[in-house]
Amino acid sequence: MARGLATNKSRLLLAGLVLGHLVAISKQVDVGDGATLFERWLFAVLSPLQGLISGGVDGVGGTWSNYVSLRGVREENERLRDRLAVTELLLQQRTHRAREAERLRELLQLRAVLPLEVLVAEVIARDGVPWFRTVTIDKGSQQGVALNAPVISPNGVVGRVIRLGPDAAVVQLLLDQESGVGVRIERSRVTGVVAGQVDSAGQLTGDLQMKYVPMLADVVEGDLVITSGLDRIHPAGLVVGRVRQVTLGTGLFKEILVAPSARFDKLEEVLVVRTPLPDVSATETVQ
Amino acid sequence: MRVFWTAVALVAALAVQTALSLIGPGWARILDPFLLVVVYCGLKGGETHGMLAGAAAGWMQDVHFGGRVLGLAGLTKVLVGFGVGLAGTRFQLTEPGARLLVVVMAVLLDALVLRQLAGAFDVTTGSLTVGGLAVRAGVNAAIGMPLFALLERRRWPGSRA
Repeated sequence: MARGLATNKSRLLLAGLVLGHLVAISKQVDVGDGATLFERWLFAVLSPLQGLISGGVDGVGGTWSNYVSLRGVREENERLRDRLAVTELLLQQRTHRAREAERLRELLQLRAVLPLEVLVAEVIARDGVPWFRTVTIDKGSQQGVALNAPVISPNGVVGRVIRLGPDAAVVQLLLDQESGVGVRIERSRVTGVVAGQVDSAGQLTGDLQMKYVPMLADVVEGDLVITSGLDRIHPAGLVVGRVRQVTLGTGLFKEILVAPSARFDKLEEVLVVRTPLPDVSATETVQ
Repeated sequence: MRVFWTAVALVAALAVQTALSLIGPGWARILDPFLLVVVYCGLKGGETHGMLAGAAAGWMQDVHFGGRVLGLAGLTKVLVGFGVGLAGTRFQLTEPGARLLVVVMAVLLDALVLRQLAGAFDVTTGSLTVGGLAVRAGVNAAIGMPLFALLERRRWPGSRA
């Protein structure tokens, strides 16, 4: 009798939990990319815990490294690495601007170059499940990070912020199948969207797939792929990767594989763009 | 007291998963310490404990390692916790062989349910090959079995014999 009651109780609980989860998940799906209050609250409560753990892991590793190496040299190295990251980004932008200057002059639409205000953030956790590709960074809303803020590295675009806490944020990597970045081929100006590529078994391969490129579009292997700015999230002109393979698809579009420029397996520090994205018409002329 | 130890186990799982993700991301995608906590709670505490531990574990995993939509791992692990708890009350699952089977089944159920749920809610996810699943099941079983045996030495308050 008692066992029967307990079983009924647990089944009621199961039904309640399943229903609650379905409602919670459905609500997010309806909302789309916007963060709900509940989501923000939950992440705010739980993210400091991960920060503490990451701090602990880093602390143990750091103590040992500092013991072995000279403290001064290590600190100077970190400082120089930070400066190098920013410098490489500036160099990347300037190289790109130089290539585009001729076209800009011809169009007589030379406008002020977009200065990108960026924030250096440290990766405190990487993806822990096989289903998604995310990293957690140690900067959140209190440091000025916004939801959907583009995240880049000196090598190229990394992804965008999908979950925000006061002192931490989760970044969806370009490698994730759910990601989607508006891009264009720098040489031919052909536009498309890139997202994580999966093989026939459904496994993420580490490459990107450029979608919605018409069969007749001019794309060849080795072409540089940059952000188009048309997604209203990523500023135009940032390097995404290089075309690795172009094949004729079965439908209306080409099948294009892109090797990402960012080294996702070696991400330690990233740059979060804080500058609000200007109008698309403006970003197109900035390159 | 049981709640306290479950919370401790979940925090330990988060610590292990975070540390693994920093040290070796490949390993973090194979070993699922949250799943091991859910399986153990289900085995020792029955379906209610398994479900509640599953909900907590799944949400922690969702918030820290999940994608755009939260709750997929939460619901998955609720179902895994319920399944393991139900099996624990119906069958004698104290032998190592039986527990090995439970961990393997739990890993398979976890992957299957999450994939189906993601599909139902139009969330695209990566997936595992049969080989990848086998490795994931094997590694979790290889780590879970001795861990469970170690925890067996400590009796949970109110646990079944």
